[in-house]
Amino acid sequence: MEEKEKQIICRLASGVKNMDEKMTVEAANEALVNHIDPTQAINNGLLAGMNQAGLLYETEEYFVPELLLCSDALYAGLDVLTPHIKSVASKARTRMVIGVVQGDTHDIGKNLVKLMFETSGFDVLDLGRDVPLNAFVDKVKEVQAQLLCMSTLMSTTMDGMARVIEKLEQEGIRNTVRVMVGGGPLNQSFAHKIGADGYAKDAIEAVRTARQLLTSGTEDILP
Amino acid sequence: MKSGNRVLNALQGRPVDRPPFICAGGMTSMMTVEAMQQLSADWPRCHHDAKEMSRLAEGVRELTGIENLGVPFCMTVEAEAMGARVNMGTRESEPRVAAYPISRISKWETLSRLSDKQGRIGPVSDAIHITSNRRLPYPVIANLTGPVSLATSLIEPMVLYKAMGKEPALVHEFMQFLCENLIFFGRLMLQAGADVLTVSDPSASGNILGPKGFEAFALPYINQILDALKDHCSPTMVHICGDLKPVFSKLQDLHTRAISIDSATSIAPLLSVLRKDQVIVGNVSTHLLMKGTPRQVERASLTSLKRGVRILSPACGISPHTPLANMQAMAESVRLPLSPISG
Repeated sequence: MEEKEKQIICRLASGVKNMDEKMTVEAANEALVNHIDPTQAINNGLLAGMNQAGLLYETEEYFVPELLLCSDALYAGLDVLTPHIKSVASKARTRMVIGVVQGDTHDIGKNLVKLMFETSGFDVLDLGRDVPLNAFVDKVKEVQAQLLCMSTLMSTTMDGMARVIEKLEQEGIRNTVRVMVGGGPLNQSFAHKIGADGYAKDAIEAVRTARQLLTSGTEDILP
Repeated sequence: MKSGNRVLNALQGRPVDRPPFICAGGMTSMMTVEAMQQLSADWPRCHHDAKEMSRLAEGVRELTGIENLGVPFCMTVEAEAMGARVNMGTRESEPRVAAYPISRISKWETLSRLSDKQGRIGPVSDAIHITSNRRLPYPVIANLTGPVSLATSLIEPMVLYKAMGKEPALVHEFMQFLCENLIFFGRLMLQAGADVLTVSDPSASGNILGPKGFEAFALPYINQILDALKDHCSPTMVHICGDLKPVFSKLQDLHTRAISIDSATSIAPLLSVLRKDQVIVGNVSTHLLMKGTPRQVERASLTSLKRGVRILSPACGISPHTPLANMQAMAESVRLPLSPISG
């Protein structure tokens, strides 16, 4: 039985990693038939597979189309498994706000980052693209977000990010939220210069950096 | 050597007395706010007006020292004419797609076919006609949005990228349709008198599509356009954004000699994989162009040239807030002697 369980979990992971929706759904159904704990099937199977896909993306074996197909397989598996999770008081999810700053409509990168955060269990509020600077601040306030992610692909709209951080300071909520920035023309030193807490070069690194930021300074994030 | 010949020769990899400085138009628009003020331009109205587009291209060329004339000043002309809702922007921002006309690839047949009656197709080709008839000693560049970028202006990019894996045959039908429409518009602009054809395909970026996606969905369609229009113009140029490293090995298969690159792509490794007859156009950082001093821009321009760029150009679309002094610094840098790179 244990061997079989391992095998099913393994197929869940490789179904996601190999962009194979059909295999993932079949393995998810088998997991249910074999009474595998759905939470375990999700964490050790589906999410582990997505994690492997992320690593392949980082090493440039996968690109955007492949990563999107992996996420489709992941969601197909989740659709099968999540209804069977016994509702237990789960740990509150980290709430985050994300968007592309005003003046820019390029949102492929932002959508990938959003996807990776969602598949990593974050509660993501997406403001979309070409987002007015005040809207970031208002949303962070409204939902008491612990993390704010802003992106731009255009070097011409980078300065808007600095203005959002200034506004957070003016509103007196800067130390309640971790701010991360990303996008083609940005780098770590720019993030540092404008007073952001973190920078990530891609969607996979973004989740890693966010986790580090959120665990390193939890004392002033908790209400 | 006249600027016109210099640009045409350099784009074809032929010897020139010095590198030319170009700003093709379209995605790499020539226009800035400061130039508009000096020329009393009326943005966004001018995007519909052939005479104004032509006057402004010539005016900004004179103000900056750019050695070509290029229209339009945005990359939304084709998408708008095919049914996308376009926000025409303000005095300080270029037009942008505000809403995609289709939500599924299978709906591509509902898109309008390009004709000179549609949107700004007519005014743009008229602007080329007017400019070309002025017989200025600078080549007129026709700017075409690349097939992948047009696709991502008509449908949410994530839907397109996913479909490339799930329904490749359908995506090919869609791309073929776009390609035919782009060939129509390209031919119209070249027949109106443009000397050079540029295809700008930022969404075909190597680090988005990867080598397989680029080879399947970008390369054959860009080539199809270049092949169909090669009898109507001498030089062609292809601009692709982002870091091209993942698709380096495919670039020699592009049916063009001039490849325009972003500042994210390194010049030396690219040079080593291009065909002997291919040249690099680029790649001065647009952030530096907006924020830097003329001295810094000059240094960056010289660095690009020393590393092997043969035609100096901004790396990507410039900010409308780029100071004229920085564009002038680029124009001056191509006239300076090149000392060897130190370090």
